[in-house]
Amino acid sequence: MRTLRAAAAFLRKDFLTERSYRLSFALGAAGTLSGILVFYFIDKLFGSALAPHLAPYGTGYFTYVFTATAFFGYIGTGAGAYSERLRLEQAQGTLEAVLSTPITTGAFLLALTAWNFIFATFELLVYAACAVFLFKLDLAAANWPAAALVFALSAACFASLGILSSCFVMLFKRGNPLAWVLNNFEGLLGGVYFPVTLFPPWLAAVSNLLPVTYAVRAFQLTVHKGAGLAAAGGDILALALFDLALVPASVYLFHLSIERARRAGTLGQY
Amino acid sequence: MFIEARGIEKTFPAPAFGGGAGLRALAGLDLKAGTGITGLAGPNGSGKTTALKVLAGVLLADSGEVLADGKPESPERLRALVSYCPANPRGFYFRISAAENLRFFGALAGLPPAEAAGAAAELAPPLGLSAADLGRRFDALSEGTMQKVSLLRALSRRAPVLLLDEPFRGLDEAACAGLLGLLSGLSGSTAVVIASHDAALLGKAAGRILRITDGTNGGEAAR
Repeated sequence: MRTLRAAAAFLRKDFLTERSYRLSFALGAAGTLSGILVFYFIDKLFGSALAPHLAPYGTGYFTYVFTATAFFGYIGTGAGAYSERLRLEQAQGTLEAVLSTPITTGAFLLALTAWNFIFATFELLVYAACAVFLFKLDLAAANWPAAALVFALSAACFASLGILSSCFVMLFKRGNPLAWVLNNFEGLLGGVYFPVTLFPPWLAAVSNLLPVTYAVRAFQLTVHKGAGLAAAGGDILALALFDLALVPASVYLFHLSIERARRAGTLGQY
Repeated sequence: MFIEARGIEKTFPAPAFGGGAGLRALAGLDLKAGTGITGLAGPNGSGKTTALKVLAGVLLADSGEVLADGKPESPERLRALVSYCPANPRGFYFRISAAENLRFFGALAGLPPAEAAGAAAELAPPLGLSAADLGRRFDALSEGTMQKVSLLRALSRRAPVLLLDEPFRGLDEAACAGLLGLLSGLSGSTAVVIASHDAALLGKAAGRILRITDGTNGGEAAR
């Protein structure tokens, strides 16, 4: 009950705060699709050149990148939002006040980014509406239950990476090597903008170490080829193993980072 | 309720790679405060704020223990038992109203919105806070009004232990009188500890005043 009350409180507070920045609020809603148009025209120019690499997915370049961008945009929320929100709490001087209350680590983590995920869901619905009504993408072959499973496993994985990233923010305030890796390499190496089969072997090996690679590939297969557990099972299993390791580890390490900050007396510093 | 600190030691470490020594804030502090109002006096840097934060479970001591009603308590349990009002009244969300801030922090403390609103309605007038003040965005408030909202946040929890760090700072005469009245009303049921440099007001509020010097007990001071 307390956890839900805390999450509701954060949601209300964050909604009211975001709404107070009226121009930013309106632009955020309107700007969701501006980037995707770039890929629409890239597809017109170069799309056919990627056909051999897109064959496993049974779709064209624009449909591939549209789906991957919508998917990555949502699951990437977890990767970025935790450290961003934590940094904001530090800079505005509210972190120590919040952590002076009886709120538990788990409730804090759940509540901290609740607004980000709500807004990401809204953006996803905008993507979905545009896919159906504007770009008329053919998603008839999708295996939606399998896609939902991939979605859930991926969101948990990236949320864990985000929580790990926020440990650096808690302890060091600025300088976040994990966020640097996530921001600069995940989209590039994970198959979001083009299939990873384009990479030379040494780069493909790096790509295979990243959970985003399995997430994007599994999602693409389930949505465009209707793949189930048999066809996408390897990627789904990889995601599940990532979750098994990362979810408990990230929450535990974040709890430790709070305790470390309490001991050092740095909760109120930024 | 009886809150007690036994042998509390606290040294703030020097920044990593920054050189310099750590700062020893508490050097084996013993402190007892029962139901009623206990004052904490001492020069700047004597450890008053550090002591309050350890009692509130906000800061972890290096050694020693904090007891509530004779039982050692974890920092998690202390954060549930103790309501702490910091000296700096700026730990709020500036883009939302004072009332929304109180609702938010009340929820984190386990107060349903109606209860938080009811507490605010009851406790705001003695502090000189109007409904218009509470409805105003926090960054539009004066420093003194921010301090009043900060006090209201701590008082609203109605916790068995109330720790106030420099509560009179920035308050006008009427608000000081109002706060003294509220604290007097709590003194029969709550263990209140007030740290303040204002000797006159501390003398009016507190039944006894403890002195902290260089992070240890300096005995009881004259009121």
